Amino acid sequence: MSRGRIKFITGISVIVIALTYLVYGGVRDTMVYYLTVGELKGRVPSVYRDKVRVSGTVVAGSIKRGMDGSLEFKITDGKQSIDVHYRGVVPDIFRDNVEAVVEGLYTPQNVFQANVLLAKCPTKYDPANPSNKGKST
Amino acid sequence: MMAEVGSSSVFVAFVISLYTLIASMVGGKSGRGELVRSAYNGAIAVCILLSIASGSLIYELLIRDFSLKYVASNTSRDLSTIYTITAFWAGQAGSLLLWSWILSIYMTLVVVQNRGKSRELMPYVIGTLAAISTFFIYIVGFVESPFERLAGVVSDGRGLNPLLQNPYMAIHPLCLYLGYVGVSVPFAFGMGALISGRLGDEWIRNSRKWTILAWTFLGTGLLLGARWAYLELGWGGYWAWDPVENAALMPWLTGTAFLHSVMIQEKKGMLKKWNMSLIIITFFLAILGTFITRSGIISSVHSFAQSDIGSYFLAFIGFVLIFSFVMFMMRLDNLRSENRFDSILSRESAFLFNNLAFLGAAFSVFVGTIFPIVSEALRGEKILVGPPYFNRVNVPMGLILILLMGVGPLISWRRASRENLVKNFLYPGIIGAIVGIVLFILGIRGVSALISFGLCAFVGATIFTEFYRGTRVRARRGEYHVVALMHLIRRNRRRYGGYIVHIGVILIVIGITASSAFVVQKEATLKRGQSMRVGRYGLRFEGIKQYRDDVKDITAATLTLYDRGDKPIDVLTSKKVLYRYEGNREIDNQTEVALRSTARDDIYVIFVNFDGKGSANFRVLINPMVSWIWAGGLVLVLGALVIMWPSGRERTEQSEARYSVKIPQHTSTAKI
Repeated sequence: MSRGRIKFITGISVIVIALTYLVYGGVRDTMVYYLTVGELKGRVPSVYRDKVRVSGTVVAGSIKRGMDGSLEFKITDGKQSIDVHYRGVVPDIFRDNVEAVVEGLYTPQNVFQANVLLAKCPTKYDPANPSNKGKST
Repeated sequence: MMAEVGSSSVFVAFVISLYTLIASMVGGKSGRGELVRSAYNGAIAVCILLSIASGSLIYELLIRDFSLKYVASNTSRDLSTIYTITAFWAGQAGSLLLWSWILSIYMTLVVVQNRGKSRELMPYVIGTLAAISTFFIYIVGFVESPFERLAGVVSDGRGLNPLLQNPYMAIHPLCLYLGYVGVSVPFAFGMGALISGRLGDEWIRNSRKWTILAWTFLGTGLLLGARWAYLELGWGGYWAWDPVENAALMPWLTGTAFLHSVMIQEKKGMLKKWNMSLIIITFFLAILGTFITRSGIISSVHSFAQSDIGSYFLAFIGFVLIFSFVMFMMRLDNLRSENRFDSILSRESAFLFNNLAFLGAAFSVFVGTIFPIVSEALRGEKILVGPPYFNRVNVPMGLILILLMGVGPLISWRRASRENLVKNFLYPGIIGAIVGIVLFILGIRGVSALISFGLCAFVGATIFTEFYRGTRVRARRGEYHVVALMHLIRRNRRRYGGYIVHIGVILIVIGITASSAFVVQKEATLKRGQSMRVGRYGLRFEGIKQYRDDVKDITAATLTLYDRGDKPIDVLTSKKVLYRYEGNREIDNQTEVALRSTARDDIYVIFVNFDGKGSANFRVLINPMVSWIWAGGLVLVLGALVIMWPSGRERTEQSEARYSVKIPQHTSTAKI
């Protein structure tokens, strides 16, 4: 094998190994579980440690908007529900009975501290979910 | 009435498209010219029929025929005319019709352009395009028809989502589709080469401009989508690594790799297998992109329409992959390289590494995008990876690519000598290093931002050197500098157009780097007359005004913008809009941000909340240099136009091919 060949193989291997490392490490460090309210409760207490994403329907009448942009509401899977505390940009379609997706930490007080809020549209016609206004990245 | 015209046109188009597919394949195989010619006419007929179908749909939208499900779902009486027309691609069925229509137009252009040329290759190219078009027309005609009638009668439609009532959203999907569909053309040429066995650079030369066209539309579509998200979604950013964004980014990344590596095949006869694989992957990703956008398999912000066409798409994608893989394996022997890589310091290897980095980036985006599906299938748990993942992988890949963007075009072929390296890279390297050091002294500490700016300066300097040297040579021969520059570009459009595209990319990279590294964000609740300071700006809340227009109720918050010295410079208004029309209940309100954009930074004000007592809550962002991204996009399109503009030499080539007459070179240059 010529010296030039070896250099090529080294160069390509460096890129491939770096990429594998970045993909693997990136997935390991940034992955979050996507759960329903029931699944979240089923994972107590280990779930308190990790950032998770939870989806559920916004309980009608539970939305409280603070003047400082803070927001409190309950989401449910039909059986169980959790309180969500959030501060940030609220999607325009967020309202009673929509499906909300929150990301953050669940605490033993049954309060979910969210830093991401997304909302989906429950349309019968032509399902659409045109919002991630809460994405704060 | 027009709906029946439309749906019957689609049915007939399906039959003719199928005929075109069979006739061109059989005609190509048996060498029967009359069969191939009738297939070509079939392609044109499909285009005419789909134009009629599209015209009927636009007509039905305009007269607001609410007996059609598509019209009722996507428009309403209070919708303005322009958005009534763009509702053509606001829903799924219409988008798919648009896809087929664009494809049929492209197919016709390919026929017209290549009639009588490349007799062995072309039948299979048209056959492949007809196969793709048959699939899409089938979906439009038999699965998701925009001409479907509603059972009952409705007096008004559901209306168009307010988020889609934006000029950028009106053209962004169109642009993206022109790109997605455009990828089909080089793919069809690749398939044509595989099926016919003509695996030289004929297929690449004949599809070169199509590749650039598709690439430009995809890139422009991405930028328009980013601008739309920035203006309309109102969270302050323009890119969120959302699945649908990724779906459009992936074919763009592999397409960019393809665009570069075909040059190596043209010049050196190398990378043949690689190029063929790249165009197959790019086409696969383009179809996958349409599938992800349209099927709703991965929940996303941009999927405005979803349904169960998923299984058809999966079957089609599977067929495309298996068919191209089999053809590829059968021709493996003929795809041997004519040259080999000599030195790691050569243009060939710069292009090779450029390709690896693009492919690596595309791969990582692919992994991140399909991760939830794969984890659910394998472990029964849905796991997502977030934006930090994408940034972590793609920032290093991006930096490598910027470096190669400076090195690739200037380093010598085969083996770079010491003199070549010093001559081309010494000064640009020094300039890049100086920029990095100066920015460090000015207080910028982010490592990737410093490297990114330094590399941008390096690449900018190499491109400047190229233009400067070329112009100087001509100017010495007595041309004025501006004239010399124009001639320089005109004489080698591909090369200098490419440099202009690279300048656009640098501007975009500078904008992305600055706006992601140095955002300032602040939130405050203000009473009327109160002020806040954000970065170098001051804002005073002047009060809330409520009023109504024809279709909506508006609550507008007005703020005066001050500079550092408390001098008023502008008045900003951020609005909360409520659409009165009841049919559109789920999506009836919208927050319009206030935005003031300069070359230095954007001030972006989100009106979060207000109460009856005159207080309001605002979130304010200062996004540095975002406008550079949009400016870079314009430069990029300009460069692409320079490349694609028909040149004198090409006309000669065409007439040569058509009439087999060799026109002496000097007469053709004289004509320019």
